[in-house]
Amino acid sequence: MGKPRVAIFDFACCEGCQLQIVNLEEEILGLLQVIEPVEWREAMSDKSETCDIALIEGSITRAEDAERVKRIRARAGVVVALGACATMGGVNKLKNNFDLHDVKTCVYGEAADMPHLDTMPAMAVSEVIPVDFAVPGCPMSKTEFTCIVRCLALGKTPVIPTFPVCVECKRNENVCRYEYNEVCLGTVTRAGCGAKCPTAGGWCFGCRGLVDDPNVNAARDVMEQYGKTMADLDDRLALFNSKRE
Amino acid sequence: MIRKQVTRQALDAWVDGLIAAGRVVGAQKKGGRYAFDDLRRAADLCLDYDVTILPPKKYFLPPKEDILRFSDGRYESVSDAAPFTLLGVHPYDMAAIAQMDKLFAQDNRDEHYLARREQATVVVCDIERMSPNIFAASVGTATAADGCDALITRVGRAYVIESHTAKGERLLAGLAGAPDADAVTLARREQLWEDNARLMSRRELRVEPRRLPRLLEDAYDHPVWEEKASQCFACGSCNLVCPTCYCFDVQDDVEWDPSRGVRRRVWDGCMLTDFATVAGKHNFRKNRADRYRHRYYRKGKYVPEKIGDFSCVGCGRCVSACVARIADPVEVYNRIAEVQ
Repeated sequence: MGKPRVAIFDFACCEGCQLQIVNLEEEILGLLQVIEPVEWREAMSDKSETCDIALIEGSITRAEDAERVKRIRARAGVVVALGACATMGGVNKLKNNFDLHDVKTCVYGEAADMPHLDTMPAMAVSEVIPVDFAVPGCPMSKTEFTCIVRCLALGKTPVIPTFPVCVECKRNENVCRYEYNEVCLGTVTRAGCGAKCPTAGGWCFGCRGLVDDPNVNAARDVMEQYGKTMADLDDRLALFNSKRE
Repeated sequence: MIRKQVTRQALDAWVDGLIAAGRVVGAQKKGGRYAFDDLRRAADLCLDYDVTILPPKKYFLPPKEDILRFSDGRYESVSDAAPFTLLGVHPYDMAAIAQMDKLFAQDNRDEHYLARREQATVVVCDIERMSPNIFAASVGTATAADGCDALITRVGRAYVIESHTAKGERLLAGLAGAPDADAVTLARREQLWEDNARLMSRRELRVEPRRLPRLLEDAYDHPVWEEKASQCFACGSCNLVCPTCYCFDVQDDVEWDPSRGVRRRVWDGCMLTDFATVAGKHNFRKNRADRYRHRYYRKGKYVPEKIGDFSCVGCGRCVSACVARIADPVEVYNRIAEVQ
């Protein structure tokens, strides 16, 4: 069996997830033992008609993006969404909380109605085409990405944690952010990041999205117990978890 | 048995000597709480801590460890066991270590755990300060220190340090010049043990632990499981901070050359959604309430039936770690005892 032919595509995002691949540095040589990149705008000029695996970062925010991602789906065997924008809409979905025209005016001023600036509510890639695997996170984790690539190359289903960030926080022996009276999204957010933010002294921003079975009622009730309000929780959730599917 | 009486200054000099001679871990301040960590100097050692975030089990069963390495169709076991001194373990944590010693030696011996345990010299210290959720006195683990190599007790301004094993005696060699503990101090220590055994509880378990296996048998459909589990995040915090929870998951990770890689184990927890998921994605404890109940059965019935000890040592860490405040074993076991 030859190496899978892999193409990397970007949509509305900061391209930070693609950059994570470039940032693998010497590990890229390992990656190249396992895959053959055939299209990767950030790192090479080649293009390809077809590919075995399409890695897609970014959200779908324009009609032409939706068409483009459908064409990618048609020419790819397996589609993998990379990072928060592609897997759940991420920060791009913040705009879905407002009137679309207000958003455009805020950003583009008088040019807001120019046709080339047309936009639509942000969507995760999976809201437009079927996605086979998702690599969550903002940016996605290099370790998780390489692990998933190796699994796919071996024909093994990659395992993404189904438990919340609290597990990794405890493994790191962090003091719980709630003990500092902070609202932390770790209790409902999918682990796999190694609880980076709480370990560095912050709270969990929820960039990996919610666990499959989040206890949202408990998250609400907890706010009251800690002298917080629902608005405090919603404020924290808005950044990465606005208008979820 | 060596039984010395020293000032804090002499104790620190002894500890600094141990640090110079090898690896010593002890409770230290961490973000307003305490955690066991490698000691760089005796001055960092807190013998007056209330409770550490994680129990010392992390030194015997690390959160993540490689257990074997494979390459080109061959594999070899990996073990990083090396001598160290674990200084200042509270009696309830010692009770938990003693339970794990039994469990890991039963059936399939866990050589990784046992090798680390073998290399450790464990020094218990009597509790000076109560943590907010302790109930060790309620389960009989506030003082007894069976299984430790040495014991430190603060009596007023003095510390009594005594050896319990040959390992402990070797550890106390550096105190040869210190005076033996006097009768008055030892009498005060007896009194302190009596007080601790009675007072080291913020809450009272109103049921004899030995009655729990029977009570739980009849409590399978008790409303408390559903009621508490409705607020459960399934975050496993209660499991992970528990000194007697020892479940782990085994995962393989291959290198870029897929014929090489490691098998590692990581802490798992029975409250987590996929803890009981098996091949074919069948999950035999799919509901939160089923998992929540399992944890109390485990502590109150399954482990006691295996080794004869009530598997909750009353450290109260789960009570503190639970953001939703639903993980209090005393409350749950009292509820079950009430109705019946």
